[in-house]
Amino acid sequence: MLLSSRDKQVQLCLAFALCFNIIFWFSGRDIQARWNNVPPAPDHKYAAAYGLGDAGFAYRLNGLMLQNLGDTGGRVTSLDDYKYNDLTKWFFLQDHLDPHSDYTPYLAAYYFGSVQTPEKFRPVLDYLQKVGEQAEGEKWRWFAQGVFLARYQLHDLDKALEMAKVLASTKYDDAPAWVRQMPAFIMTQKGEKKAAYALLLEILKTSAADLHPNEVNAMKAYICERTLSTKEAAENPLCEGTY
Amino acid sequence: MSLPLVKYVLMAALRDRLILSLIVILLLGSSLALFLGNAAVIEKDQFTVIFAASGLRFISIFGLVLFVVFFIRRSFEGKDIEFLLSRPIGRLHIIFSYALSFSLLAIFMGLTVGLAVYAVAPHLFGAGHVLWTTSIIVESIIMVNAALFFSMYISSSATAALVTSGFYILARMMGQLLGITDSSLVDNTGIYAMALQMVSVIMPRLDLMGQSSWLIYGAEGSTIGIAYIIGQGIVFSALVLLAASLDFLRRQF
Repeated sequence: MLLSSRDKQVQLCLAFALCFNIIFWFSGRDIQARWNNVPPAPDHKYAAAYGLGDAGFAYRLNGLMLQNLGDTGGRVTSLDDYKYNDLTKWFFLQDHLDPHSDYTPYLAAYYFGSVQTPEKFRPVLDYLQKVGEQAEGEKWRWFAQGVFLARYQLHDLDKALEMAKVLASTKYDDAPAWVRQMPAFIMTQKGEKKAAYALLLEILKTSAADLHPNEVNAMKAYICERTLSTKEAAENPLCEGTY
Repeated sequence: MSLPLVKYVLMAALRDRLILSLIVILLLGSSLALFLGNAAVIEKDQFTVIFAASGLRFISIFGLVLFVVFFIRRSFEGKDIEFLLSRPIGRLHIIFSYALSFSLLAIFMGLTVGLAVYAVAPHLFGAGHVLWTTSIIVESIIMVNAALFFSMYISSSATAALVTSGFYILARMMGQLLGITDSSLVDNTGIYAMALQMVSVIMPRLDLMGQSSWLIYGAEGSTIGIAYIIGQGIVFSALVLLAASLDFLRRQF
């Protein structure tokens, strides 16, 4: 079938359009979306707007966003490269949207807590303390993890002790005895063995009846082997017998 | 109320494959929610339930709104309305028969969405789930009646659908917007704040309904109960249906 001159004109225009598309493709092919690090967190008052007024939906959307932050579009971001001050604002926002969930504390403590330069994690400790101060469920775990990170990752014994004291004094529904003993562990590490001894002795005096015998024995062992010197232990009646 | 007209609308919904299309989309939406939920490092079931609930809620509402708007406009353009008016049936009967038909569709879709959300994580089922499903049914009824109102007033299907969608988003965001006017960040006696307060008087607070946290933590301690949800449905539906009736009664054909 013969093509009319109009058909040929349209075909020619189509060929030109295709060529322009290819040229245009070359100009934009290597342009990738840039990641400008952690975006600023919105104010608490407007946070539910992310879920069209549904705080639960906004919490889960933000949660997945935080989990995959910097690791989308074929990009992988080192934990060291995040802005932890901005991240902490998101964590507090998440706590406002859903204070019951363990998802964001988990991300903060176990995922972002693995940052290569632990000092960058310092702002997040306040968040873990805030979450951990809630008496419900096992929120104390996040606080204890914060104390652990301050003690073993940041090597900041003063901060760890400060947090451990708040942790020990918070009334939890169901927390193990070692939560109350944490300040003593850190005092021992700081060399404040007399203070650690006094604290553990006080716990034994006030709570021994409520503790499992194994727990009492473990505390005695800690007192006699870690807080007291060999000579002091030999003279202390608490350290007599087996434990 | 005209039962043959109600049956006619329900048949139209079946003929338009509205029910079938929405059920297929609900299945796809549930699958997507399962996929997204499983991408979370912990609390996978909670993620799945919330993504399913929030996603299916939008899909169901927009499906119903589009059906209502296009059905009403088609009825006007195809002279169905004029034919109905030539029969021994009052104008109010027509409006309320339409409203009943659309509300029945809304109840069906709300129950289907509730069932789909239950199906993705049955072990999380509880009283909160019942409250949530009831809330979604009432929200759907509110929205089909709002769509009926807008499609009676606005002669273009696309415009009516867009206006109803905008209305839905505004109703979902109303709590946030009122929060802004109540905060110390803005002057709450300013003209925009006052205008927003006035608009909010005739807007349903859909942000208070269908809260996905009910599905996980239950409805205990929630400030919103079944009485508020049903009350809002009745009060707002009455408002828009009477407004639509007023327009229809005055219209010249």
